[in-house]
Amino acid sequence: MLALVRVGKVYPNGVHALDDVNFSVGLGEIVAIVGGSGCGKSTLLRAISGLDTPSRGQVLLDDKPITAPHEKIGIVFQEPRLLPWLSVADNVGFGLEDRPRAERQQRVRAALTRVGLADKANMWPRELSGGQAQRVAIARALVPQPEVLLLDEPFSALDAFTRIDLQDHLLDLWTDSRPTLVVVTHDVDEAIVLADRIMVMRPHPGRIFAEIEAGLARPRDRQSADFDRIKRHVLTALDRSLDRAATVDSGETKVSTGAALWW
Amino acid sequence: MSVLQMNVADEPAAAERNQRKLRLKRWSRPALGLLLPLALALGWELAVRLGLSDGRLVPPPSVIYTTFADLARTGELQRHTLATLARVAVGFGIGVGVATLLGAITGYSVLVRRMIDPTLQALRAIPSIAWVPLFILWLGIFETSKVALIAAGVFFPVYLGVMGGVMSVDRKIVEVGRVFRLSGPQMVRRILLPAVLPAYVIALRSGLGLGWMFVVAAEFMGASEGLGFLLVDGQQLGKPAQIVAAIVAFAVIGKATDWILVGVTAPFLRWEDRFNVHAGEN
Repeated sequence: MLALVRVGKVYPNGVHALDDVNFSVGLGEIVAIVGGSGCGKSTLLRAISGLDTPSRGQVLLDDKPITAPHEKIGIVFQEPRLLPWLSVADNVGFGLEDRPRAERQQRVRAALTRVGLADKANMWPRELSGGQAQRVAIARALVPQPEVLLLDEPFSALDAFTRIDLQDHLLDLWTDSRPTLVVVTHDVDEAIVLADRIMVMRPHPGRIFAEIEAGLARPRDRQSADFDRIKRHVLTALDRSLDRAATVDSGETKVSTGAALWW
Repeated sequence: MSVLQMNVADEPAAAERNQRKLRLKRWSRPALGLLLPLALALGWELAVRLGLSDGRLVPPPSVIYTTFADLARTGELQRHTLATLARVAVGFGIGVGVATLLGAITGYSVLVRRMIDPTLQALRAIPSIAWVPLFILWLGIFETSKVALIAAGVFFPVYLGVMGGVMSVDRKIVEVGRVFRLSGPQMVRRILLPAVLPAYVIALRSGLGLGWMFVVAAEFMGASEGLGFLLVDGQQLGKPAQIVAAIVAFAVIGKATDWILVGVTAPFLRWEDRFNVHAGEN
């Protein structure tokens, strides 16, 4: 289980990025973190990953504090961040260097097949499209079989069709070993499609403002009334998190105004 | 005969034509670069043959060729070339070694950079030829001072290239290394070295170029063999053809060593996503 206990972060330049963040994520649960830009959601994810250390509080994985990158925690960044000098296959196998060659090859091949890029194994990263590259990045993070996978706005640089495609694909991959997923996003639809629970953050300093249970059956229909209901709920919370006087659960127009402005 | 049949019959012929075109292309590309020097040489040869110039101070290609042949026949050319090559090799090796080490350290550590980079930049501002008298006093007039001068010339571009290369490694890529918990040496081997390699090759090439420049300066300061000696000898004995022959030798060997350097490193840089890099492939 992943737990954040009174996590706070003040950067050396005095910016108060996070204040007293508490929540825990169960094994296999999918949590989405949404919030306006500058609300500290990326800072939060970096603290969980161990890339940055919180200035107050602790991140605990199975009751042990995380102070540096951990083998059970994988991360996918906004950009694929593939190593351009390695082939696609070598990128996917990057975290398996210490394994025997045969095992490495077998796992890389399996992972690439799973993300539908088996035929691209010997290509260079520059030869991939944005969506393909991000799939390789996801494969690279999943191959060491992490217990927790963090995703920092993983699909935000992609076009709408590819994004929806990859959201479904990520859920499909998740069913293989059911790792805990923490997804930072500014796309409310994405949060609702993916998450069991949606954390809405508010800025200055970054705090958890609201916690919304999605409670929808999978696979989720983006057009369903339930989906819309949750979406309105999240958008309202977002509006409130930015101290905007938006009317709750009323007309479409109000909500869409908020939706246009919140980020 | 139907159209279809004709196409089938034509196919092997077309393929062969394509092959021939491809082969022609492979040879025509370097040939394009030879066009200008060949035209100049031919023009000068004609000018001398037609009596437009006596070709005494600027000997025509045929005379230079004869000089070359004479030098090669007596074994002089090989001896001088080898002497020069050896100096460049040793000086380049030492310069590159020291520059790579210092450049990597100053690129990596802000503290060390603040401590030693200003001094090195100040030294870089001194024209390296200005060291010649000191090097001779310190190291004597034989090989050591020559090699030291070449090494000093090679050092600076390589040092700058390595330091700049290490400093500009993408933080985001380094973070990928951190996520996979690479140790210090692993980070160097798996992330930093490959990331720096393109800049390093360019630094090596400019270092090698300066090495060839400085070997001449070194051989001017009193050598009994080497291509630089051929230059001085040709000047003192009034043999312009020998001077031009030595210059041509420099051009050929300098270009050849650069070509080897590029060729040896090319397999490691195939991944590069560069402007124009694939333009030549079709």
